[in-house]
Amino acid sequence: MAELVAILGVPHNPLLWRPMRDPMPEDLQRTSANFAAFRQALSEARPDVLVVVASDHARAFSHVNSPAFCIGKAPHFVCTYENEIRTFGLDGWEVPGDTELAGWLLGGLELAGGFDFAMSNEWLLDHAFAIPLVYLTDLDVPVVPIHANAAIPPLPPARRFADLGTYLAEAIKAAPFDKRVALVTSGHLATEVGGPKQFLGGDSPDQEFDDHAVAWMRDGDLEAAVAGCTLERLLAAGNVTAQYLNFITALAAAGGRPASFAEGTPSRYAAGPFFRWDISA
Amino acid sequence: MSTFEIDKFALYVEASDEQVRSYAADPEAYVARWEQRGLASRVPVADGGTLTMEERQALATGDYAELYRLGAHPYVLWHFVEAVFVWAGDVSWPEMTERYRTAITPHGRPDFST
Repeated sequence: MAELVAILGVPHNPLLWRPMRDPMPEDLQRTSANFAAFRQALSEARPDVLVVVASDHARAFSHVNSPAFCIGKAPHFVCTYENEIRTFGLDGWEVPGDTELAGWLLGGLELAGGFDFAMSNEWLLDHAFAIPLVYLTDLDVPVVPIHANAAIPPLPPARRFADLGTYLAEAIKAAPFDKRVALVTSGHLATEVGGPKQFLGGDSPDQEFDDHAVAWMRDGDLEAAVAGCTLERLLAAGNVTAQYLNFITALAAAGGRPASFAEGTPSRYAAGPFFRWDISA
Repeated sequence: MSTFEIDKFALYVEASDEQVRSYAADPEAYVARWEQRGLASRVPVADGGTLTMEERQALATGDYAELYRLGAHPYVLWHFVEAVFVWAGDVSWPEMTERYRTAITPHGRPDFST
């Protein structure tokens, strides 16, 4: 039987990559420290595999073909794209996959568990996956990436992200093999790219949303999070804020329990989300 | 016409350094080639498509405010603009963010579903 040993939610802001290094700028010290603490917590959980729930940014899944949820079932994955290397200065990284767990979550000949995943055997991961992996690991722990569409309308509603978390927790627990599994989610608080509120120099595009969004995780209020994350409200908070929905998946996977750590970390960018549920082994 | 064609164009160009340079060097000629390839094939192609008059005009002139108004995906559009005008152009990043914000803000939040 597999075991869920850690649940994390972190930012994947690729603009961190160039400036967040020594000598550490003062405004990024807290973000860097949070990543370090989460990396330590993840290491202490000794995961055999990471399930990473994040949202591709119209790179692997564009308007030509846009699944709501897709599981990557490949023996290894490569990050990232030529334009992300150009724009964000990211490097090309490789991580091993875990076809056994991916196959279990998907099903064999028939989709498992009533959750209609798409499947990919060859998938170049973008920064939504690369940033968490490079800050939280040495890129040596096998990964099962799950794309949750929070970029290309129509998006799944918040309830489906909660359903995904519930499904993952149950499916991992029911797996017929012994593995220690960590769930890593990535996303945003209120954030805008390409809209009128982008790059406000550290001010949140929507502080009221951020306050609620952190509180829902801190208090373990899954139903309030689902109710508060209508697509209309998310878009009003910023046009990529829907990637917060991945944290609803984390909260649901934690059984709706309050997060052990919940913070919107300020910096020169929109606040960075850090959520962690400690699970004693 | 769906805004899909704008997003497809912008994503294709922004995806590679070579395409960004090619478009930035001569947007009008690049758009003409894009449409020729789209018209020449009965099946969908990754590097071509069909455009409305509005879309063609906006893409051929780099009119990002108009592309935004027409419903281009904001994330896709911004990175297209950043690549063309900052990386392949001569506009600084701070200047471009201000120009872009000033140009698109009057258009509010157009529906960017396709």
